[in-house]
Amino acid sequence: MPAYLAVLVVVALVAVATAVGLVWKRRTGAVASVDAGRAETVTAADVRTDAPFGERATLLQFSTEFCAYCPQTRRVLGGLAERTEGVAHVDVDLTHSPDLAHRFNVLQTPTTLVLDGAGVVRARIGGAPRPAELEASLSRILHGQDGRSADAAEEAA
Amino acid sequence: MSQPDLRPLPGQQGIDPRGPRFSAGITAVLLAVDIVLGLTGATLAAWILLLFIALMFLWGAAAGVQRHPYGAIFRAVIRPRLAAPTELENPVPPTFAQLVGLIITGLGVILGIWFPVIVVVAAAFAFIAAFLNSVFGYCLGCQMYLLGVRAGLLGRGSKAAV
Repeated sequence: MPAYLAVLVVVALVAVATAVGLVWKRRTGAVASVDAGRAETVTAADVRTDAPFGERATLLQFSTEFCAYCPQTRRVLGGLAERTEGVAHVDVDLTHSPDLAHRFNVLQTPTTLVLDGAGVVRARIGGAPRPAELEASLSRILHGQDGRSADAAEEAA
Repeated sequence: MSQPDLRPLPGQQGIDPRGPRFSAGITAVLLAVDIVLGLTGATLAAWILLLFIALMFLWGAAAGVQRHPYGAIFRAVIRPRLAAPTELENPVPPTFAQLVGLIITGLGVILGIWFPVIVVVAAAFAFIAAFLNSVFGYCLGCQMYLLGVRAGLLGRGSKAAV
């Protein structure tokens, strides 16, 4: 193969890797709301933890021991839970629990589920959460419990 | 004289997260050269270079990224020119990623003895992973760990040597 074609192959690989990287950057940490209709309810027993869930909301983080962004996520979620009354941060290590990874369909760590006071999954975040987006989502969940549509309209205004 | 606070997190030796990204950059450049060598017919040179890259991964996987020569270059040449890192990183995930890199390039080296084209294929896969790690901070090797756990290949009953 002539040298210029070989260089072209490398350029094509750079393009592929850049495209993958851009898609990942766009998606990682974004908060995806879960439809109320098909939301699942999670209890502490489901994820085999002794840590208490929050009265108003729980930030349920799935981690592994070999996870680059898990410690950072732990600090962000822990800080948010500390600042917000009735909100708990629970970290579940999947390293020895492949069944939990299957059950909650976790394909990357960290993955965070935002549960409301009843343990219903209201939002899901793959990757290190974007703090501002997470706080907005949490505040919608906290204030939407007694009249979701009214509060949503208030916030939009 | 004010020193940046670089104390490791309790119970572990923290590293500057930009170190592994710098190392991945060097690896990506070497892999790109390797792909060009392999494609232009310099198969022996491509094989030797991939062997070198695999040995560097072996070094990182066995000794840990903190004791890797590329990390030493980073600390000596690059780090003094940068601001202090905003946070330190656990060295275990990038060390695991070195093992993933070793497996991919190692397979390329071994199979490349009989099929030179495998050298280029392995280098291409490793290049994409190294490029993503260096440019985007996306550690593909670290993500592989969870997939290994899910497949039942890793994690069960084992304890990480932190």
